Amino acid sequence: MERAFIVKNPSVLWFLLGLSVFTIVVTIFSESAGSSVISTSSLKTLGKTLCLCLVAIAMDVVWGYCGILSLGHFAFFGIGGYAIGMWLMYDRTKNIVIGSLENNIMPPTPDEVTTAIGTQIFGVVGSSEFPLIWAFSHSLTLQLLAVVFVPGLLALVFGCLAFRSRVTGVYLSILTQAMTLALSLYLFQNDTGLRGNNGLSGLQNIPGLEDVSQATLSLWFFWASAVALGAGYLFFAWMLAGKFGFVIRAIRDDETRVRFLGYHVETYKLFIFTTTAMIAGIAGALYYPQAGIINPAEIAPIASIYLVVWVAIGGRGRLYGAVIGAVVVSLMSSWFTGGSAPDINLGIYIVKWTDWWLVLLGLTFVGVTLFFPKGIGGLFDLVSSRREKQQ
Amino acid sequence: MSTLLEVSGVSASFDGFKAINNLSIQIGKTELRAIIGPNGAGKTTFMDIVTGKTKPDQGYVIWGEKSVSLLDMNESQIAQAGIGRKFQKPTVFEEQTVRENITMALKNPRSPLDLLFNRAAADTEDRVRAVSDDIGLTDALDQLSGGLSHGQKQWLEIGMLLAQDPRLLLVDEPAAGMSATEREQTTDILVRAAKTRAVVVVEHDMEFVRRLNCKVTVLHQGSVLAEGSLDHVTKNQDVIDVYLGR
Repeated sequence: MERAFIVKNPSVLWFLLGLSVFTIVVTIFSESAGSSVISTSSLKTLGKTLCLCLVAIAMDVVWGYCGILSLGHFAFFGIGGYAIGMWLMYDRTKNIVIGSLENNIMPPTPDEVTTAIGTQIFGVVGSSEFPLIWAFSHSLTLQLLAVVFVPGLLALVFGCLAFRSRVTGVYLSILTQAMTLALSLYLFQNDTGLRGNNGLSGLQNIPGLEDVSQATLSLWFFWASAVALGAGYLFFAWMLAGKFGFVIRAIRDDETRVRFLGYHVETYKLFIFTTTAMIAGIAGALYYPQAGIINPAEIAPIASIYLVVWVAIGGRGRLYGAVIGAVVVSLMSSWFTGGSAPDINLGIYIVKWTDWWLVLLGLTFVGVTLFFPKGIGGLFDLVSSRREKQQ
Repeated sequence: MSTLLEVSGVSASFDGFKAINNLSIQIGKTELRAIIGPNGAGKTTFMDIVTGKTKPDQGYVIWGEKSVSLLDMNESQIAQAGIGRKFQKPTVFEEQTVRENITMALKNPRSPLDLLFNRAAADTEDRVRAVSDDIGLTDALDQLSGGLSHGQKQWLEIGMLLAQDPRLLLVDEPAAGMSATEREQTTDILVRAAKTRAVVVVEHDMEFVRRLNCKVTVLHQGSVLAEGSLDHVTKNQDVIDVYLGR
């Protein structure tokens, strides 16, 4: 059956092949393989981009396939990052604290250790107490579960309330936008227990792997991101290939009609909303250790809107479209805003790309929406239809 | 003839306008029934109430041998209980193929997990084929349904209803916008379907109703004006006054 699935969906095979080749090529040219073509920081950018691709295909499933224009999916991405970040920060601080207390004449009591860790982590917000939310931060297993299930649970509860009341269209978009805004504002406060606007930092250091160089660590994370993207792509493609996919796309096109076919539309929407939120959480958990820091600004409403822009430019309703959009736009964004794009001197005015990139992106978005509603991915249709004509 | 659907004493109003007024209709288990009436007679509202889209202010809607009330069920539950509805405007999923449209409609478990994990039912292809043969769209199975002609879309929608294997089929103006030959074929499909289930057709077109050759219910201002064979109701003076006389 699996073979039949791959045969019926050659684009999945091509995608996985391309991803593998890309991973191997990047590995060969990485610093830890002794090459200097791809620096460690570029490697991290590439790894992060793969994570963004994963959250983009999740967005494509929820919007492009199921028609739910969620403007809050980046919140789930951020929650995943926070969940893994809590363990990373706790465990690393614990190692440092225990190391520094070892020289004391009296062995430190567990209380002293806890207080010392608390002071280290929460000193920036003027506290040393562990908030309740950190209760499981000592356990990697529990925090990994949190990466998946906290976004899942939030999406489930939110979706239940919204879909049950049959909130759809622009109203739902506004609600999801409000959700991510509320979450971000909440996290900005110092007393929420997640270090306010400082966020969680030092996430690039993995506890227990202090001896491993950043070059190697980055490569490992790059691999993990590639595997996660491949697995996520395969999972969504499998999910959408059969009858389930027919129903999901039918809900996008005419949900009332689907209801009269006897399908419980709300359950399907909830299923899609929750599953994609969980995948977004996983993507976030892989992204932030490579970024090194997460703070509430990451889940500001604009981030979720970017997500929509990627999917729209890449071409919604096709998984590889989302990947193309995420890669092209996020890499161009870091090129333009990173200062490496040459400024254009018009004589009277110097166009600085750091300022004008957003304008360019906005114009591209409008242009794509007006003239190429199928996005970059639509070009593949043109090519294949031309080939059919020639035959 | 035992009753499949019993609507009794139902009233429904929108902003004070009584769309349905103390309406009572009974439909048998295998019956072809035509419902006619002028615009605003409450034909569509009647269907809305039976399918759960509109809740009436008073009255009962009783279904099946176990006499369950449809008023406590939502649209998808009613559909699963065995009532299928065809809308006036053909609504098929235009971006999907005919095969995908029929597959979705086939009577099967309908929860997300069923769809994800029991996808390779061996008889799916045969059942899709049976439906497409019935509506004459077998050659178009792999076409996008958006590319079908108006008449073909109507048939596809009827086919999707048949695929659900409902016990009661509500069909809203199936012949609207069809050519003469298309109408003939539509009549055939409906008459054939009514051999094993109840089919209720709402229609304006008298010629079409005559060809169905079945019991007719005339609605006027939300309640039943006359009932019987087409010849019988067309001789009824009330019917002539409100409907045919125009």
